[in-house]
Amino acid sequence: MITAPMIAVLAFQFAGLEYHPPEGDQTSIHKYPLSTQNLGENGYGATQGQEQVEQDLDRSQWVQETNEEYHERKAADRDRIAKEFADPDLLLGSPSPSVARQSAKLAALHARLSLPTRFPLETLARTLVHPTANPSSEYNNESLAVLGTDLLAYYAAEHLLCHYPRLPMSVLFAAQWGYVGPHTLSAMASEWGIEHAYPGDEVEPGHLMFMSADQSPDALRMQEQAENLVLKGTANVLKRGANWLSQRDQFGEMHPSKEILDQMAEATKQEGLRTATAIDANASFIRALFGAIYLHCGRIATQRFFTSHLLSRQLDIASIFEFKKPKYDLSRLCAREGFDPPVARLISETGRLSRHPVFVVGVFSGEDELGQAAGASLDEARTRAAVAALKSWYLYSPMEVTKPSSVEGAGNKSKWIPNMVDPGEVVT
Amino acid sequence: MPQVTALRAISKAQNGVGAFIIQCKRIDFHYCDWYGSSRGMNSFITNELSKFGKAHPNIEITVSPRPNKHPIMVGHYINGHQKAICVRNLTKEQVHQKADLLRMASGEKNRKVMRKPVISTNENVRGMWSPFHAGRKYEI
Repeated sequence: MITAPMIAVLAFQFAGLEYHPPEGDQTSIHKYPLSTQNLGENGYGATQGQEQVEQDLDRSQWVQETNEEYHERKAADRDRIAKEFADPDLLLGSPSPSVARQSAKLAALHARLSLPTRFPLETLARTLVHPTANPSSEYNNESLAVLGTDLLAYYAAEHLLCHYPRLPMSVLFAAQWGYVGPHTLSAMASEWGIEHAYPGDEVEPGHLMFMSADQSPDALRMQEQAENLVLKGTANVLKRGANWLSQRDQFGEMHPSKEILDQMAEATKQEGLRTATAIDANASFIRALFGAIYLHCGRIATQRFFTSHLLSRQLDIASIFEFKKPKYDLSRLCAREGFDPPVARLISETGRLSRHPVFVVGVFSGEDELGQAAGASLDEARTRAAVAALKSWYLYSPMEVTKPSSVEGAGNKSKWIPNMVDPGEVVT
Repeated sequence: MPQVTALRAISKAQNGVGAFIIQCKRIDFHYCDWYGSSRGMNSFITNELSKFGKAHPNIEITVSPRPNKHPIMVGHYINGHQKAICVRNLTKEQVHQKADLLRMASGEKNRKVMRKPVISTNENVRGMWSPFHAGRKYEI
C-alpha cells in the first residue's frame, strides 16, 4: 500500500503575505474570504507561539491516507470547486487559485524574489500556469505575459538606446535578445529555482505547469510543423523595404502574419494537443511576472525589479559585433562625418622575420588616432585597428543619461534633459 | 546593405550585483518522536523553528516524521543538489547551527579552497600592458 508522506505546512511561513487583492481583481479570480482550514485558528501571519507549532505538529490530527482516501478527498475538493466556480472544467489543468495561500513553496518564492507585499500569492500562482496547461485565459498567464513582453521590450530598448545611441540596428536587436530574449529569461527562471510539473489540479502551486514538448515526440513533430508554416509564410517578406521594421518584433525577427497564425492555430487544433518547450514556458512565466508586478505594484516597482534582475546581468556588447568589411565601413564613416580619410600607420613591430611577428597599427584621420590594434601580419593589424575604430564610434556612451521613463508620472520632480540622437549607422 | 551583423549572446547572471537570490530553496526537517537521539531536534522544531522560519521566509520549510530513525535535515538547492545532515544527539543550539549551515550553503560540492588567481569578467580599468607602449625603451 502506498501512503502519502506526512508533511506539515506551518502558518509562520506565510508571515507578511496578509495582503489580499481588492474585490474584482482580474489577475487572481477567486472568492473571498479564503479557506483557512489547514492553518489553525490564528490564520496567516499571526504571531505564532510554541503551542501553535505543537498543535500544527500534533500527528494525531494529521491524515495518513490511502490511495482510495486520497481520490475521495480530491473528488470532494472538485465538488467544492464546482460550487465556487461557474465552470469548474476550466480549472482542471491547474490548481484552484484558492489553494495558493496554503502553498509554502509559493510563499518562499515570493520572499526569494523580494516581491512587494502588495503582490498577491494568487497572482504569483497564476503566472506559473502556461496556456498549454490550462487553456482558459482566466487562469493562465497568457494575458499577463503579453503585457510583460511589451514592458521588457520597452525597458531594455530604452536602456540600450539611451546608453548606446549609435548602436547599429542588428547589434541593437542582438543586445535586446541578450537582455530579454527567451533564452535569457529561461536561464533566469532556472536561476530562481523554478521547478516544472506536469499540469493537473492536484499539483502544488509554486511549480511551473506546462505540457512539455520534450516529453512527447509527436508533440515535438507538431511543433515543428507549425513552425515550418510560419517560416514558409515569412520567407517572401524578408526583403528590407519601407515596412521592414514594422513586420519585426523586438529581436528583429519576423512577425507571422494573421493568416499564418490562423493556419498555425488550425494545425495545432487538429492534432488536439498544444505543447511548449521548457524555454517558452520559463520565458512566459517571467514575462507574466513583469506584467503582474506592473498591474499590482506600479511602474516604479516594475522598473526597480527590471534593474535589479535584468540590467544587473552582464552582456559585453563589444563582443557581439561582426564586421564584414571594416576598412571600407570606416572610410565611408569618415566621409559621412567629414573627417579626413583614414590612413593606417605602423606604430611599432617586432620579429618581422621570425615565426611570431607582431605589428601594432593605428588608423589615423589627419592627426587624430581613431583606433589601434596588434596583429600577426600587417593586414590583420590594419583590419583590427579599423574594427577598434568602428567599435569606439558605435559604442559611444554619453556620460549623463536621462531615461524617458525616469521622468514619467505626476509629481515627478526630475527634469527631462534630451538625450543624444544619432543620425544612424553607416549604410553603404 | 549594412556591413555590421551581430552574434547572439545571452547575458550572464551576477547573483548579488543587483538582486540576490539565496541558493537554498528548501530545508526538510525529519524527526522521530520515540528515539532519544531526536531530543534536540524536537526541541528545536517546537521552540525555534517558527523564529527561524520567520527570519528566513525565502526558504521553504517542511517538517515530517521519520519514525525509528535518527533525525536529519536535508537542504535542497537551486543547482539541483541536496545536502543532508544527520543531527542525532545534538542539542537544540547545535541543530540551529546545522540549519544555518544548510541555509547559507551554495549547494556546490565542498572542495578545497585553492589559491587560484581571481579571473574577472570585467574589462581591466588600466588596459592591458603592452611592451610596444611602455614609456621607456630598454637598450641592449
